[in-house]
Amino acid sequence: MRQTYGKMLPGMKLSDLAGKLIVLEGTDCAGRTTQINMLRPWLEQQGHAVLDTGMTRSVLAGDGIRRAKEGNSLGRVTQSLFYATDFIDRLENEMIPALRAGFIVLTDRYIYSLMARAIVRGMNPGWIRGIYSAALVPDAVFYLRLDVEQLIPRVIFSRGFDYWESGMDVFPGQDMYESFRSYQNALLAEFDKLSTEFNFETVDASADAKIVFAQLQAKVQRVLDGDLGRLKPAEAQTFSREYLHKVFEYAAAATMRRNPDPVLAQAHEAVLANQRWTPSPVAAHYSPQNGRSFFERK
Amino acid sequence: MDIGNHSGATPRIGPFEVFFPSAGVSAHRRHHSEGEFPGCLFVVEGIDGSGKSTQLSLLHKWLEAKGYGVVFSTWNSSELVKDTTKLGKKKKMLTPATFSLIHATDFADRTERNIMPLLKAGAVVLCDRYVYTAFARDVARGMDRHWVRDLYGFAAKPTVGFYFRVPLETAISRLITGRDGFKFYEAGLDIGLSDDPTESFRLFQGRIVDEYEKMIPEFGLTVIDATLPVEVQQAQVRQIVQSHLDRARNLRVRP
Repeated sequence: MRQTYGKMLPGMKLSDLAGKLIVLEGTDCAGRTTQINMLRPWLEQQGHAVLDTGMTRSVLAGDGIRRAKEGNSLGRVTQSLFYATDFIDRLENEMIPALRAGFIVLTDRYIYSLMARAIVRGMNPGWIRGIYSAALVPDAVFYLRLDVEQLIPRVIFSRGFDYWESGMDVFPGQDMYESFRSYQNALLAEFDKLSTEFNFETVDASADAKIVFAQLQAKVQRVLDGDLGRLKPAEAQTFSREYLHKVFEYAAAATMRRNPDPVLAQAHEAVLANQRWTPSPVAAHYSPQNGRSFFERK
Repeated sequence: MDIGNHSGATPRIGPFEVFFPSAGVSAHRRHHSEGEFPGCLFVVEGIDGSGKSTQLSLLHKWLEAKGYGVVFSTWNSSELVKDTTKLGKKKKMLTPATFSLIHATDFADRTERNIMPLLKAGAVVLCDRYVYTAFARDVARGMDRHWVRDLYGFAAKPTVGFYFRVPLETAISRLITGRDGFKFYEAGLDIGLSDDPTESFRLFQGRIVDEYEKMIPEFGLTVIDATLPVEVQQAQVRQIVQSHLDRARNLRVRP
């Protein structure tokens, strides 16, 4: 049976979480998003229902965090706890219902990034770990590792240095480049420590995206093969209506406010009307190749 | 695999040490160690209808009149966080865990922005509700007792924590006459104790009172009998506060 890292939240039930929880970790610009955008359609083509999620995408706290980061007055403890709120909202209302409905949950970062960022900001490691001790132990953590030297050109030629990614709140008084180096080095050191402790499977992210993808495919396939009896492809699976409903409702709340979408609404209605739902047509419509995502990024 | 066992029970020392010295900020990052803060922190606790806010406001006026630099902070008032809390409450989307975390986030912002810097500056800080409110409510909602205490490990330990003790029925009768109905989370309707808001409120507040009672010895709270006349309570509060004021800076905010 699935476990947490030590603590249980009220009302949390760990039985029947038939889905798979797969984590992609790594520093900024390590290619996590690119890989998830390739893994998702690949898994959907095999008939799996996939939910992808990531930081600040919660209905509850996503907007609040973005607003708080626009100013210059977000304290370190406050920041750590705001992210924890975002994470637990998604864990309880998005990830767990999706796992119960049999989805493969692909998460762009998990508690490890959140812990590393907090620790680099001077938070006590025991304190931040205690908070995240209610998180589910995932089925696999793939760590896309990149040295700072390899990271810098990617940052410069994609979106440039950003205040928070450069850790300007941690290393002020330096220019963004110097701050970025200090901050990312500190993060990498934390990641490397966490990597041993939590059994990350490290993937060299400096390779070409296609090569990284092939490695990840093999690793993900191994996770799925390990438990084929429980995780059935969508066509052969009767989804639990109750949990599917929750997954849709959360997705709708997270995306539809900004971006009402008739196809998602139709799928949700079908679930409400107790009709059998298979992810494939919806997944096809929402595949990243169509420029859309089922659980759209903001 | 248990990752939550690193923060054990560390002895709490000094009036201004954080609750659990190991929690929150690492020791080498902290610039102030035990007892170094020149300010004073007085907090009032108790269930709704206990009269604690009235007492705190009387204390506030008295301290100001005496020329102390007094700052007042109420529960759930961070500008940075309150929109999120409001959204969660309005849409009823808070679980016991996110209810706990969003209130801790709000408290963290007020601690980092106001409470800590002001205590370092030597002000008298007054808080209407403090971490004990979270300990009582969150545990009444089913959160793990130790998890919630650890969560607030970054908080400054108050100089005095007043607990206004009042029989549940007295508090409820004060509240029922003063307003129409109870709010969803206030009445604990989210945890399904009863469908009737007044009955749910009664049961939920009963749990909260039990938690407060346990915290009196745990945190050395100062109990004030809130059934006494307002003036008598205030005299007791002022006497206790007076005995601690030597350390606070008389800031002479007014000439």
